[in-house]
Parts: sequence; structure tokens; C-alpha cells
Amino acid sequence: MGKLKFALYWGAACGGCDVAVVDTHEKLLDIVAAADILFWPVAMDFKYHDVEEMADQHIDICLFNGAVRNSENEHIAHLLRQKSKVMVAFGACAQLGGIPGLANEKRGKEILDYVYHGSPSTISPKEVYPQEVVSVSGVELKLPRFYETVMALDQVVEVDYYVPGCPPESARILEVVQAIVTGNLPPKGSVVGALDKALCDTCPRKREEKKVKAFYRPHEILFDLERCFLEQGLICLGPATRGGCSDPPRCIRSNMPCRGCYGPPPDVTDQGVKMMSAIGSIIDSQDPEKIEQIIHGIADPLGTFYRFGLPASALRKKRFL
Amino acid sequence: MKKISIDPITRLEGHGKIEIFLNDQGDVENAYFQVPELRGFEVFCLGRPVEELPRIVPRICGV
Repeated sequence: MGKLKFALYWGAACGGCDVAVVDTHEKLLDIVAAADILFWPVAMDFKYHDVEEMADQHIDICLFNGAVRNSENEHIAHLLRQKSKVMVAFGACAQLGGIPGLANEKRGKEILDYVYHGSPSTISPKEVYPQEVVSVSGVELKLPRFYETVMALDQVVEVDYYVPGCPPESARILEVVQAIVTGNLPPKGSVVGALDKALCDTCPRKREEKKVKAFYRPHEILFDLERCFLEQGLICLGPATRGGCSDPPRCIRSNMPCRGCYGPPPDVTDQGVKMMSAIGSIIDSQDPEKIEQIIHGIADPLGTFYRFGLPASALRKKRFL
Repeated sequence: MKKISIDPITRLEGHGKIEIFLNDQGDVENAYFQVPELRGFEVFCLGRPVEELPRIVPRICGV
């Protein structure tokens, strides 16, 4: 068998997913021994026209990270889908919309207005905004269209596999590559590089009794370093998050509650709804007024429950009336 | 006017393209560096709990 052909690309992303691949360190040499990398903007000098000139399905596996924020992201997603046998949504942004998806609580125009005009550090007396087409000195320049909302990769192209994480842990990436190289992949549509259980099920913290009388922000209490965050009233996305980032879970190990970057656990489509359901079951009151008071102790529910997945959630974006 | 497109620019973090326009003598008339990306951290960080920002803003650039 010849070498596999890989492509790696980033849409609306930070580059952390690409760095996670590089963070496989010397094992990267094993990846390169098994696969030729035909396109990887952060690391290699191939251009869009190199991809355009490939035959359809020339690439075996495309690892696409980043969300779809603008028309260029969508165009390249379609192009790589056409040129690749297998399309992998790699990392939280491609899988769910990711942190850039938090922008879905605003309209596209509101974002442009603030960034190019309203922000205190912007001085733009001529009110210059980016244009899709602009003529300067007799030539025409084009920029992508900034969409109204952020989308996950499978909202614009068919996706074969999902690798969760912000970013995916390097050790998990190697397992995924190993599965690809040995042809040992699960059915299409599967999440790979993670466990088939919730993060809570892998958490080493002590669990006593989940009866919460108040929710706290971290500066408001001195909390037990050994005990379950949620039981102490600190929001932790463990019940609503897929396990497998590392063992023990990486943020928990650093004494930080989970924020959900590995996306919803198996059989859950909406991470925020799952989290709200979990919270509903631990509040220690039967009095509606008291319950409401307790819930109001949760700072920023939208940005916490949907930290990494607003575009892929049932909400998708804030509704504007 | 001949145009040379370098799209995308590579081996750095972020998206960019460069378009170089040559005149009839083949010399560079104009060159434009364009950044075809925006995510809007400036906007969606506003109003978030301050203790959460160390887990949001690292995603501005992960390199």
C-alpha cells in the first residue's frame, strides 16, 4: 500500500489544533512516515491552487479544524470535501462551532460595527468597513463575506468523523492517526479520539451528596480541593461533556472545573440542555422562588453551558425579534 | 496588468493573502496584503465573567 495522503486546514481557528498535531513531537515523524501531507497552511507552502488542481478524492483524509465564519471558510470546506475521501471535523470549532461560535449571540453586523467603529481603541473617522470588493488604483481586490452567524463544519459539508477537543489532546490524535493508518475506523459519523462516556465518569474527585443550595463564582468561596466541584456549587460541565481528554481530565487535574470542550457525551445532542437538566436535578429546594434565586447565582449561563458549542446547539444563535 | 496571487500565505498563524500587480514592463506597480478573517473576540468577550476570560482569550491565537 502506498502512503496515505493527508490534508490539514483551518477555518475560523486559532491554530491550537495545528499546534496539537505538532505537539505529538517526535511521533510526528511516524505520521509523516505513514502519510504524505499535501496541504497544511501553518506548516507547509502549498496554495489553494495546488488543491484546486488535484483530482476529486485525491486526498485520503482531510483534518479540518476551525469554524465556518466567512465565505472563504465555506468555499475551502467545499473544495476540500470534493478533493477528500474522508472529511474529519477536527477540534471543537469544526465539530461544534467552538469559542468563535460565542459570536452567535450577536448579529454579524453588530460585530463589524464594534470592531471597525465602536470599540474604544478604534479611530476610524471615515468609518471604513471591510468590503467584499474594493477598487484601488485601477485594480479590484476581494475579501470573503463575513457571515451573519458561525457554523460548524457539518452545517456546510458532509462530515465523516469528529475529533473533539479544544484542542484535541495530542495523545488522542496519535490514536486517531493509528486507527486511520490501520483502517480501523468506526462507522461514519462517529466521534473518535475520546471515550464513550461522560467526563464525570472519569473524574477522580470525591462525590458525597449533590444537594446544592447556592452556586458560586470561584472568588466567592474557599472550596475543597478534593471534592466534586458541582456538589460545592461551582459550575462544572462534567455531566454534559464527553470524557477522554486525558486521565484524569486535564482541567480537573489543574483544579479547574470542566468547561465542556470535548462536546456532548454519547447520545446527547445539546450540551447546554444536558447541563441544565443536570443542574435541575441537584438543586436542593422545592420552592420555586428559592429555586429561581439559586439559578440566578449562575454567572453567564449561555457562555458557560454553550462555551464551545453554540452553533451546533438547538439554539444555534440568539433569536433577534 | 499581470497579477501574482499568494493565497494563502503559509507557515504562520492566521489567514492572509498577498496580491502583487505588475505593470507592462513587468515591474511591481502595487502590492496588497489582505487579512481575510475576523472572529469578533472584541465583542463576544464583553459581559463575560472576568474569571472565565483566561479560558476564552487563549483561543485568539493558539500558536
